[in-house]
Amino acid sequence: MAEYVGIDLGTTLSGLAYLKPDGNPEIVPNSDGERLTPSVVFFDSHEDVKLVGSAARDGGEPDRTIFQIKRYMDDPEHLVDIDGKKWTPAEISALILSKLKRDCSKICGDITEVVITVPANFNELARKSTIAAAEMAGMTVKRLVNEPTAAAVYYAHSQGVKGRVLVFDLGGGTLDTTILEVAGDQIKILTSEGARHLGGSNFDDILLEAYAEQYRKQTGTALYTDERHRRRVLQATEDAKKMLSKLQRVNDTVANDQNSGIARIDLTRVEFEAMIRHMLTRTVFLVEQAMDSVNLKPSDIDHVVLVGGSTRIPKVKQLLEKMFGKTPKSCGNVDECVALGAALFAKKSAKIQEVCNASYGTLAMIYNAKTGEEKLANSIVIPKNTPIPCSRSQVYQTSEDNERVIEVDITQGEDEDAKFIDVIGRITLEVPPNRPKGCEIAVTFSYDENQRVRALVVDKQSGRSKEVAVSYKGAGVLSPEELKRRSAHLRAMRIE
Amino acid sequence: MFKILKSLSNSLGGKSAAKKQAAAAKPGSLLDKVNKGAPVAKPEAPKTPEELCGLDPKMDKDQVLAQLKLLFRRYNRSASSLDAQTRHQAEKMLDAIVQMREKHFGEI
Repeated sequence: MAEYVGIDLGTTLSGLAYLKPDGNPEIVPNSDGERLTPSVVFFDSHEDVKLVGSAARDGGEPDRTIFQIKRYMDDPEHLVDIDGKKWTPAEISALILSKLKRDCSKICGDITEVVITVPANFNELARKSTIAAAEMAGMTVKRLVNEPTAAAVYYAHSQGVKGRVLVFDLGGGTLDTTILEVAGDQIKILTSEGARHLGGSNFDDILLEAYAEQYRKQTGTALYTDERHRRRVLQATEDAKKMLSKLQRVNDTVANDQNSGIARIDLTRVEFEAMIRHMLTRTVFLVEQAMDSVNLKPSDIDHVVLVGGSTRIPKVKQLLEKMFGKTPKSCGNVDECVALGAALFAKKSAKIQEVCNASYGTLAMIYNAKTGEEKLANSIVIPKNTPIPCSRSQVYQTSEDNERVIEVDITQGEDEDAKFIDVIGRITLEVPPNRPKGCEIAVTFSYDENQRVRALVVDKQSGRSKEVAVSYKGAGVLSPEELKRRSAHLRAMRIE
Repeated sequence: MFKILKSLSNSLGGKSAAKKQAAAAKPGSLLDKVNKGAPVAKPEAPKTPEELCGLDPKMDKDQVLAQLKLLFRRYNRSASSLDAQTRHQAEKMLDAIVQMREKHFGEI
């Protein structure tokens, strides 16, 4: 049995690593001989089989092929309809995890308990969906770990560094920036910031538009008219993007599916960098945001580490070099280090201090006695970057006489302005009648190692209390019973 | 300074307890209601990137950068909202923020 296993469940690629007896992690290839498995699922219409990986990505029908399901893990309403059956994002992810488990266990032994990586800014629902996906695939999640944390663990292990490290993780679908301190075996995360929907696939889309524009200019017609052909061209743009990381210019020929002729595509690295410049400026903002949140200057950072396939783009390295005045380093294969770090994390988690990725609090009317001003604001109980696990309390007062029901909204976000935070749940507590306003209510938030939050509300006068874990409802959120039922169904499926 | 608990639905008023509970179960739904009053949702919202970002010609470089960073933090968060309209508005704001950074501090 493989004791320490880590899985990088990525937007475009997924990988599994285990810890060898010598203490070093190793990637386990799938049955197709690939070290990483494309996170793509194809539902065949002829045979009762689900293809996962390259076979799913390269063939099949677009309306039966699911790409980038990770982007929907936090959407409680997202469902994929295949032949009338509605699949949740967690179920689709479970098919990918099942393929990894089945293929890799043939090499490294039975896999029952795993560490799975998630983007640092994955919210509560996305984390819960990831755990559900693993359960459906027959694995228990020992811990969820943030992707840049896992990469940093691998970097520290393989390079033996110490000091302050900034991890810049630009993957297929997300950007994460994490700052941490390494001292020997001890790792202390200081902060993580993330941007959703900022990654390599956004660059592919931009290149796709450039291809379509050049095709239109040369032939006067559209490059693609259906999803199947769009996917083919998208694959070509991804290849061109990779070549532009090595070459200054690429030439390609493309045709549409209407026999409208062939167009010659000519692209230079300079043109590509100009196309993605706005996206890269966002990455600079995010790095600055991470630095500001822990009051650090670029000169305070000892090492800049690159993670994720999109960091192969030369302009990304140049930007970071300019910001920090030092050459960013890669920790081996930028696509594999997250899975490798997750396997290490499975063993070393006790030596790694993580922090809250977001602030948690409630909505309160804040009165300023000096100015007499009052405003509805997000009142933070646990600030972002508090070391976890943790628990914090704040005492509030009731606002009206004879208030019978206390409603406490659970908020997630740093902004004081309620318009810019998420309300992720609510606790409703019945209290005794005929009390004046101003009764004290204690609100306590607890944050566990998997970055999951619980809230406790206590009416101090009556002692009544209620505690909840944040929970979600929606078509795509499975009840425990449904999860059990679908797990059994999924394990009986043919997954190749 | 003291703090009084205020449920978002109470502060906005007009919903039955049952409806409130149903709404609370879905993340984002309450925030959507708040967002109805957000500046970006108003049709009369300013049109130029400067106006969208609230930049004043009198601001010095430090103030401009601080304002752009504040807005980036806000709208980067909104860009991952479950609500498509909020995401769309956030993307427009992020474009404006990037444009203003390039104007005031040069291209990267």
